[in-house]
Amino acid sequence: MIEVQGLGKRFGPLAAVHDLSFVVGDGEIFGLLGPNGAGKTTSVRMLAGLIAASSGSARINGHELGRASQRIRAATGILTESPGLHERLTARQNLAYYGRLYGLRGRQLRVAVDRYLRVVGLADAADRRVGGFSKGMRQKVAIARALLHEPEVIYLDEPTSGLDPSAAKTVRDFVATLRDAGRSIIVCTHNLDEAERLCDRIGIMRGTLLEVDTPARLRRRNGTATVRVELVGARQPGSFLDLLAALPYVEAARAQDGALLVEVRDPRGDNPELVRTLVEAGARIVGLHEEAATLEQVYLDLVGEAGARDADAARIGEVA
Amino acid sequence: MRPGYVWAVLTKEARDLFSNRLLLGAVALPALIFASIPTGIVAFIEVNELAPGQMGQIEQYIGQFPDLPPKLAAQGFIVLNFMAYFLLIPAMVPMAIATQSVIGEKTARSLEPQLATPIEIGELLVGKAIASATPAVVATWAVFLLYGLVNGAIAEPVLTRLIFNDVWRVAMITLVPLICLLSVLLGIIVSSRVSDARTAQQIGGFVVIPVIGVAIAGFFSGQASFTMDQILIGNLVVAALIGLALVIGNWIFDREAILTRLG
Repeated sequence: MIEVQGLGKRFGPLAAVHDLSFVVGDGEIFGLLGPNGAGKTTSVRMLAGLIAASSGSARINGHELGRASQRIRAATGILTESPGLHERLTARQNLAYYGRLYGLRGRQLRVAVDRYLRVVGLADAADRRVGGFSKGMRQKVAIARALLHEPEVIYLDEPTSGLDPSAAKTVRDFVATLRDAGRSIIVCTHNLDEAERLCDRIGIMRGTLLEVDTPARLRRRNGTATVRVELVGARQPGSFLDLLAALPYVEAARAQDGALLVEVRDPRGDNPELVRTLVEAGARIVGLHEEAATLEQVYLDLVGEAGARDADAARIGEVA
Repeated sequence: MRPGYVWAVLTKEARDLFSNRLLLGAVALPALIFASIPTGIVAFIEVNELAPGQMGQIEQYIGQFPDLPPKLAAQGFIVLNFMAYFLLIPAMVPMAIATQSVIGEKTARSLEPQLATPIEIGELLVGKAIASATPAVVATWAVFLLYGLVNGAIAEPVLTRLIFNDVWRVAMITLVPLICLLSVLLGIIVSSRVSDARTAQQIGGFVVIPVIGVAIAGFFSGQASFTMDQILIGNLVVAALIGLALVIGNWIFDREAILTRLG
């Protein structure tokens, strides 16, 4: 389990991360989503015991950050942004080296190396130098390296970067099995699709967490859902707009391409009443579905709002 | 300091080094070149009789070997006088390996995954330092051995005994490893401040200047070889410099600085 409370990191005058608070439970995948420079890597480095926090606290699997950094590193697996392999060594030698650094020895080490070479599908290339590997193969070695010592807490920075769709799916499926095995996993990514597919919850970050929720709830972040009502028949969709405007549960409505786009707060509760009202008014409904905002839109809105706030703050600072 | 972790780094570095033929060549070649110059001169003297005029010019040097005939004394002076260059090998070679090791890690961005393991910085640096210094120490000792045996074979066995004298045996056992260690530490410090191996080696190359200075001073002083006192003073000076380099290295190489500055 990862428990973070008010964590912050300053580099001189620059606050790279501030007021970071969240909890990742056992068997949960938590996505950190944010633009470049949002502080994702700095946050992971702090949580992995690599750099010291300037403020706040965190407990990683019960170990206090800053007091038990070595134990935290031993219980943590990290896939860094760049694979960072030793080019002149073979895949097996790379893994064996890191296995030793994680305290594995003898038979235990050999078994772990062989197992993870098989898991990432590199058993046949195990004794080739990684300098000759493709980007995807390197990424697979780096993933194996992060998991070799069976860590309870795992940080994955862009885990499917450089992988073809099939290999990316294999990695995603494997990460899901790690979740099922009860590991706490943080995934840093720019890939919204991947975050949505992989993560139980997503934290959108820009210096701090702007929003944390499940992907489904994030898509409904502004509190309403847009319901598209497909109509046929002689009456134009626009002729129902006055009727819709008078309904208390309708936030807004407009006609578009032979359909009505109706914003409601609670689609599951409001849709039956909406359909009944429209049918009673003579509408011939052939279809109805919810048009949720994409995660991308939510992300861009949140990051854009935060960017505008930062710019305002900078301007106020300059004026003052 | 946990030996298992140091050993893991050491064996990884050794594998890395032995797979890099160019770097291995850089370890062996300078030592052989330095040794072959005086050996060539000894061979030249052996097959060409020195003219009386020439003997007169080097009389003050060969006078340091009153028990030897003039020709052997001239050869003795040459082999001993050039031996100061044996101190250049431990000054130059480990620097090349250490800078390659650290800069290579920076280029490959492989420091972060290592630092994310339970290894301590000291264990990582000691492993790297031993791995960088050992080939140079071994190369110096091997060429020293070869130098003594080959020159003895070319001239007279007495030349071998001159080369393997007490002063140089002490120098090989103490001063050579100390210079290697200093060279490695300077290599690591310089590597932390630059981004490519060539620049690091150029800057680090300044470390050989004092050693070259000592060698040239010895050459022109007319003194055939170092004395035991000079070797012991050299040990103290180099040990003090190692202490200074360790303080600076410890300051530069904390985990956070490596990650935020070196990548």
